[in-house]
Amino acid sequence: MPDNVSLAERRATLLHAAAKVGRNVTSILDPELLLDQTVDIICDAFGFYYAGVFLIDESGEWAVLRAGRGEAGAAMIANGHKLKVDGHSMIGAATGQRKALIALDVGVEPVHFKNPYLPDTRSEMALPLSVGDEVIGALTVQSTDEAAFTEDDITVLQTMADQLAVAIHNAHLHTENRRLLARAERRARLLEAASEVGRDVTSILDMDELLNKTVDIICDAYGFYYAGVFLVDEAGEWAVLKAGRGEAGAAMIAAGHKLGVGGHSMIGACVERGQARIALDVGEEPVHFKNPYLPHTRSEMALPLIVGDKTMGAVTVQSIEEAAFSDEDIASLQAMADQLAIAINNARLLKELEAAHAELLRTKTFEALATSTLVAIHWIGNKALPISTSVGLLREDLESLHDTDPDLVESMLEDLQTVEDSARLIVSVQEHLIGPAREEKPSPVMVDDVVRDVVVKMGISSDMVTYHIAPDLPLGVADVTQLSRAFGYVLRNGLEAMEAVADPHLTVEVVPVNRGDFVAVRITDNGPGISEENLEKIWAAFYSTKGARHAGLGLSACAQILQQLDGQISAYNAPGGGATFELAIPVYDGILPAVNLSSDCSLLLIDDDDPWSRFVERVIKDAGGQVSRSVDVQVDLDGFDLILVDDALEGAEIRSVLKHLRAAGVGVKTLVVASSLRVERTMELMPFGVRDVLLKPYTRAKLAEIVHL
Amino acid sequence: MEDVRILLVDDERLVRRSMEKTLLRAGFDVDTAENVSEGLELFQEALADEEDGPFDIAILDLNMPNFEGVDDPDAGLKLLTKLLEVDADLPVVVLTAFDEVTRAKEAVARGARAYFVKGREAGLIELVNDILDVE
Repeated sequence: MPDNVSLAERRATLLHAAAKVGRNVTSILDPELLLDQTVDIICDAFGFYYAGVFLIDESGEWAVLRAGRGEAGAAMIANGHKLKVDGHSMIGAATGQRKALIALDVGVEPVHFKNPYLPDTRSEMALPLSVGDEVIGALTVQSTDEAAFTEDDITVLQTMADQLAVAIHNAHLHTENRRLLARAERRARLLEAASEVGRDVTSILDMDELLNKTVDIICDAYGFYYAGVFLVDEAGEWAVLKAGRGEAGAAMIAAGHKLGVGGHSMIGACVERGQARIALDVGEEPVHFKNPYLPHTRSEMALPLIVGDKTMGAVTVQSIEEAAFSDEDIASLQAMADQLAIAINNARLLKELEAAHAELLRTKTFEALATSTLVAIHWIGNKALPISTSVGLLREDLESLHDTDPDLVESMLEDLQTVEDSARLIVSVQEHLIGPAREEKPSPVMVDDVVRDVVVKMGISSDMVTYHIAPDLPLGVADVTQLSRAFGYVLRNGLEAMEAVADPHLTVEVVPVNRGDFVAVRITDNGPGISEENLEKIWAAFYSTKGARHAGLGLSACAQILQQLDGQISAYNAPGGGATFELAIPVYDGILPAVNLSSDCSLLLIDDDDPWSRFVERVIKDAGGQVSRSVDVQVDLDGFDLILVDDALEGAEIRSVLKHLRAAGVGVKTLVVASSLRVERTMELMPFGVRDVLLKPYTRAKLAEIVHL
Repeated sequence: MEDVRILLVDDERLVRRSMEKTLLRAGFDVDTAENVSEGLELFQEALADEEDGPFDIAILDLNMPNFEGVDDPDAGLKLLTKLLEVDADLPVVVLTAFDEVTRAKEAVARGARAYFVKGREAGLIELVNDILDVE
């Protein structure tokens, strides 16, 4: 039994040690460091064999050893040493009952757990660590002395334990504060990033810039490995990468990276369902696409870009950390994606609006230009008309003066030629520009017959042309005069392209195309072809590869004519050399009027044996009439009610045919039919005493009108 | 040939003059008018002209100011009608644009003997001679 003096001294020593511990522990703010140092401080100050700190886990069931003196402590922590709260151990009792316990001569204490790591312990004290009403753990101090602790010591050591508990609590609070602060800072940064996206996206009108800026902001603000934006294509089949962070993004865009909507990729699934998808360990997620460009990705999030009920695409965000995305990240990134979606939609609407506006402006400008240009061209052309007449007169005068000064007259004649050529060009420009702009009167036409007629009327020798006409061609629909004009331009273009060719040859192919919606006429020459550079330019008005004597209007007029009849025209180099012009004329899809033909008409058809003449023969015979066909008119002309003469005759010269008919007195029964009508031609033919010059009938109804069946 | 009198009516001064010169050189006697009223006046005066006699043929532009002085694409047709009212057998040639087939045919339907595309004067003399030969 210690005497009073030594008792007082011991108490003073303990108080001193307790105060020292209290001072030291309260200044340590890092919880781990605090616990580690506490056990050393206690052992050193009190001279104990061992000290350990247990903290109650989140479940409240276990007191887990968090710090222990020396190797024994380290070994126990490594083994996950823990004791049941309210269990039979001294720590269990101290935490469960919230009171200090002393075991002296531990060999006989029933409550003590025989700890193999601490074989020399002979006395032990367990002190609860409490803050307010809450027990957060317990402190164990152990001594190699038997009966090292008295009940009096408890008070002093409990004071120290209370201070330790407060220090531990404070350190935890401090850590928690720092965590909350960091979270607040991160949240502020994310909000800043989101608002940056919001701010920028409304000010960026260019879609590419908008998307690229967005992926940069996402990666910079969140510190993510990669971000990319996919937009769904027009067909709704593919999500196409439009912007991607860094070199990986650039490489994928260059490679045309796209993912099938509704496919196995996260983006594909996200777009199809309109829902965010998250893969936190992408190696195990079946939905994730193993992307060789992004080998380090361990977490991926796909966020849909939705406006209204339409998913326009998705944003992918990827991190090199597993489980990288917090709920907050997801919420703020989705908010950002929502803003981005609205911005993309706005940019698209703006683009559409701009396109519509540009189209409107173009149309209006074109209309205004076309109207005023036509007036101007008409005016200029009319003013140029007298030039050639005057030049003709001047030329006559000059030629009569030839003997006076031959050189001067030659020079003046050359100048006159220049004047005449220029005037002719101006007049031809007028015709090229005004002609195609005339109002069209579309009707069903035999496209192959029209092109054949143009070839014949241009005087192109039949030896020079090979035809490939598909059988049973449907009728096209076109203004036949304009269509003839277009064929004429293309054929003339072909002839000119072959000027330097020794054996010029044209191939004319007429076939149904586009699932039978169009009849295509392909005119191929064996000239030098068209350079890549010129393939686009040839359609421009006033562009010519053939020098100044061409106004360069033929092909642009062609394009205009084909556009007006809802057809298509294209040019390409033929595989075997030369250039091919393909004119696709829409197929007539209306219903031809049912005509009940009945006639005893006797018709003489003056025409070559071609599809059109066979059509006429068939119709008239079906109606009960009679048809004779001849090219050279070496037939008895009596007894015919009507004589039809094709304007484009290959096997005969139409003027001699008409002269013959006039001489036979059957001019009034004669109708000339042509696949295009021009004043000069009718002017040329009417004086032969024919009844009329008319457009060729290509349907039974039109034929019936002419023949009066 | 010197007896053949031609009435040429066109409001375009240069066209009128160059055609006039072409016809004059071919040996025709040409009178010109710059509008339909003047043309009709000349025609009526010529009917009473005991020295030179009436016109043998008239060449009319279609598009020019009409009798009210208003630009009219059919002014020439209106003059045509008035001329034929006076002389139903008068050969008339109308001048048209290069692709006005319908209007040219209408002129013929209203009594014109022929039509001719402006600016292609090279064939005009031949046409006039053809028409007069037939007469």
